[in-house]
Amino acid sequence: MATETLKQFTRLPQSTYIDALRFLPPLSALDRYVVVASFNSDSDETSIGIHALTSTDTPTLTLQSSFTPSSRTSSLKVAQKSLNPIIAASTVAGFLHILFPNPIDASFESKVPVPEKRLYLGSITGLDLQENGSACVSVGEDGRVNLISVGDSGLDYRQIFDSKGLVSYTAAQWASPFEFATGGLGNLLQWWDQRRPGGPVTQFKGNWANVASSGIVHSIDIHPSRKHTCVAGGSYGSVFAWDVRRPHQSIVLSGIDNSETTTCLSESDVWEVQYDTFMSASDHAKLSTTGVLPVMICSEDGILAVLKQGEEPTELLAENCAINCFDIDQQNPSFRMGVYCFIDEGVAYNDRYGVIGLFSMANGS
Amino acid sequence: MPGLLTESGNSSSVVSYSPAAETPAVYTLHHCLKPPITPRLSISWSRGNTLRVTILRSPETANSVEEEPGGKVVDLKLSGEDVDSEINDAVRWRRIAYGSLSPFAHLQNKKNAMAALSELRHSTPYDGDWSKYILEYSKEINSLLGSNKSSPASLIEDPKTVLKNVEEPSSLKAAWELLEIFYADKQSHSWILERLVDWLSDYNTLFSGQVPSVHLRLVEFQAELINTQVVENEIKYWQAISSALAVGWLDIAVKLLRLHGSYQLNQLGTRETENGLVEAVAVLVSKMPRMRADLPSGKLGECYFNKSDFVRAWEKWRAQITKLDCSAFWLQCSHHETKENLKNLLQILLGNTSALSSATCHWVELYIAHFLYIRPLTSGLESMYVLAQKCIQLKPTSSPHKLMRLILGILEENTEVVLAECSRSFGPWMIAHATELLTAGSIEAEILLKEERDKLGGISIEESHRLVYAQVLSSHALTWQIAPIYLISCMKHGLGLLEILLYKQPAYHSQVLLKNIEICRMYDLDSVSSNAMKIAGVHHWKHGRKGAGVFWLQQARDEVRLNRIAQKLFDFVGKSISDESFEQWEGLIELLGSESKTAGGLEFLHKYRDFKKSLQQVQDGIFNDAARKAGEALILLMKNPSTPQRFWLPLLYDSLKLLNWQERPLLNVSQTNLLLNKLQELSVARLRPDFVEVGLPPQALSSVRVALATNLGRAILEE
Repeated sequence: MATETLKQFTRLPQSTYIDALRFLPPLSALDRYVVVASFNSDSDETSIGIHALTSTDTPTLTLQSSFTPSSRTSSLKVAQKSLNPIIAASTVAGFLHILFPNPIDASFESKVPVPEKRLYLGSITGLDLQENGSACVSVGEDGRVNLISVGDSGLDYRQIFDSKGLVSYTAAQWASPFEFATGGLGNLLQWWDQRRPGGPVTQFKGNWANVASSGIVHSIDIHPSRKHTCVAGGSYGSVFAWDVRRPHQSIVLSGIDNSETTTCLSESDVWEVQYDTFMSASDHAKLSTTGVLPVMICSEDGILAVLKQGEEPTELLAENCAINCFDIDQQNPSFRMGVYCFIDEGVAYNDRYGVIGLFSMANGS
Repeated sequence: MPGLLTESGNSSSVVSYSPAAETPAVYTLHHCLKPPITPRLSISWSRGNTLRVTILRSPETANSVEEEPGGKVVDLKLSGEDVDSEINDAVRWRRIAYGSLSPFAHLQNKKNAMAALSELRHSTPYDGDWSKYILEYSKEINSLLGSNKSSPASLIEDPKTVLKNVEEPSSLKAAWELLEIFYADKQSHSWILERLVDWLSDYNTLFSGQVPSVHLRLVEFQAELINTQVVENEIKYWQAISSALAVGWLDIAVKLLRLHGSYQLNQLGTRETENGLVEAVAVLVSKMPRMRADLPSGKLGECYFNKSDFVRAWEKWRAQITKLDCSAFWLQCSHHETKENLKNLLQILLGNTSALSSATCHWVELYIAHFLYIRPLTSGLESMYVLAQKCIQLKPTSSPHKLMRLILGILEENTEVVLAECSRSFGPWMIAHATELLTAGSIEAEILLKEERDKLGGISIEESHRLVYAQVLSSHALTWQIAPIYLISCMKHGLGLLEILLYKQPAYHSQVLLKNIEICRMYDLDSVSSNAMKIAGVHHWKHGRKGAGVFWLQQARDEVRLNRIAQKLFDFVGKSISDESFEQWEGLIELLGSESKTAGGLEFLHKYRDFKKSLQQVQDGIFNDAARKAGEALILLMKNPSTPQRFWLPLLYDSLKLLNWQERPLLNVSQTNLLLNKLQELSVARLRPDFVEVGLPPQALSSVRVALATNLGRAILEE
């Protein structure tokens, strides 16, 4: 059976913390750009920069342009709006920035935080852009859910919900032009539909009495071909899938679980989950069946792995420091490059404390 | 670092502070504390190496119109210089700190495993394997401190480049390597002298700053070489050769010899004998027997691993030198400088003390020269120490270099001096990591370092040094996370200090909190992590994030605070069912779940919510089934001990409609009796002074009583 192996792996040490990073949709056929949100703890400087990625034998990142957000970046997403890239970034101070890089030289055109006043009391903890860049949903620890529509004439925002601090949100992800999912404390997943305002349509919650099954959801992903299934990752190494049509149950892919069939890859926080777009032929065959699609995760204890339902996980990397974020280049599914970063500083890699790792995958057998 | 004085600048400062950099900004602080306030001084660590000094005093408002600020805050940026200015560069220092973490942790694990094993076997914990691990550890750390790689040599070698361009080595690495040679690398002890020769050739440049050295002499000569026409007429040329030869840099000596003018083609005819003599010396130099396993490429000499082979070769080599010295060819050599200086080189090779002394600059060089040409078979630290003393007498230095002091301490076999030197000159990092080497295989050193001392508060020297290093790590935002590894290896105070370190982290910052919990999980510090979660919970609660507050308190299983929170929540929800504000609480209550044992009094809320829901349905006109359910929920609530007493009457008052249900009594006799008992209890409680009256109409109690009595009657009839 085909398994994934790491074909090439390069570490690019950075002089700052890396809070988040994403591949930018291509500006032209030849260029590859990466958006990196960084933080310099010595000088307290924050920055969102666009770097050109040249991937010859030794990949390098060259800063093209940068933007200074109001505070540290808490969440970063990118999309493509009428062939132009669009970047959404949220900060721990509760501001939201929608940025439009110039398609020619990757410089920033708009730098205004939108809207100009604070939308949140406290940190914005999660956001997501619609695939076509037309709307951005954001959630905060103060329990507010906001929607920003990105039109041709400008930006417009409205509040969808305010739990007044009774529920804190930690992640958000679009499922369709109308539906999105949010994650929160207590392994809470909620499903929202803009056509049915007033609150979440349905929800899944962990058992709060059992501490191990009621952690925090740090990241959610929804596959375009399975719009009713959320996959979520969070505390205690838990990764689980939730089908909106069966709201009271979840499929545990990894984590502390009573059943002996589930593998426990890690016991620390899973920081990011994304459906693995790099799929072998056997994975494609599964697309038609009911199982959960392969999911890539990264964790606090330095594991980058691919989880498949009912199979042993494939560990791609086991580092001795946290991997806080990764991204998959959606433009290059067969020969994929990923970027990951260590927010943990130092870590013996040269003299820097943030590291971006670049790797490409090969289909070994 | 408490109690450690540095030598930099004035010896009275603990950490060097250079006020020259920039005048720190002074912030004023206004406070409304009521006088009298005794002036108060607070000193705390701010970000990084910044020390925050706060002065509080009573504001002088008495007569002046302008109010004087009541306090001042100043952030003093300490220069961040470590004891050794070489790791001044914070980034470089962090790299070393992070890099040495895993070798250290690895070695501690091995040590623990071996100690456990030896306890099983009742044998000594240190055997052959152990020295292997120590060497591995030492080599890993050594590689971190920098490499001695020279810059890539150009393809066409410049004949006039004598010294290779090497990156400036660090004295930290030099010191570590010395410790490795003497303490860790047991296998190469038989050629320890040759290792010292290599060591000096790698690090002689470090001495140059403080004392004249052969390296400095060569650097100076090389600068002049380009402008020199006839080298053999220059006294510096011969000095350079004899110095290089004396400290065993044979390749440089031979290379310089071959710059001799007699090698030039146009002079070969007239200076044939002279050239023969130069070449003979060069060959003899390059054939020098050396007692060592191998030589790095480019270095000259012939290696002998076996002592008897070496002695034989050594005697033969010296015989050849003597033979050349007495040769008749010298008479035919017309160039005076060449003749005299070549003879001098032969004296160096033969080990003439005064020749060696004049060729070398400081005592370590002379010491090395002695090993090479006079006593190549010296063994044992004692005789090495005696020889060192002799060399110091011959070449005294007024203020010995720190590496010289370290060498002497090692040779003297005085662990205390070595420790003091490490900590004084190379800082807490060095000493925390070097103790592993010092204790390897030496029982006295181990006793010295591991003995618990009353003077140090009952801990050992080893532990105190680790604690100091951990303290240094803890004081910086970028390194505090690696301090636990060192703290956990300290038996006595490590755990306590680790707890303090973790408590000091801002738990309300969610990233830090999660990191904190992760560290606690690794070291089984459940109580610390639950305390951090409690702090975070209360913080969120106070800042209006009630859900997050309840979440963290539940994670911490903090019954006491959850119950307090429940009491507060009741104030919000303890209104009548028609109150709209209850709806917004539903999200939170839903999250709490029904069987939440850890939810404290919040368990009540969930049941209350269910009751309210069914009661709502009853009022909306959905009958029988809903009414029966509501009745059941009411009984459940009243039975439950977690239902607060102040809710009893409102609950019953809300359920008047159930009690007066038209079609049939919803509650049976025993259920009604239960409710009547509760009502009675309530009437008694009302007499107590601390009873809080709820905002219900005055006739509420009597109407409930009547309803219950009616229901009881109807229930009895039905049964």
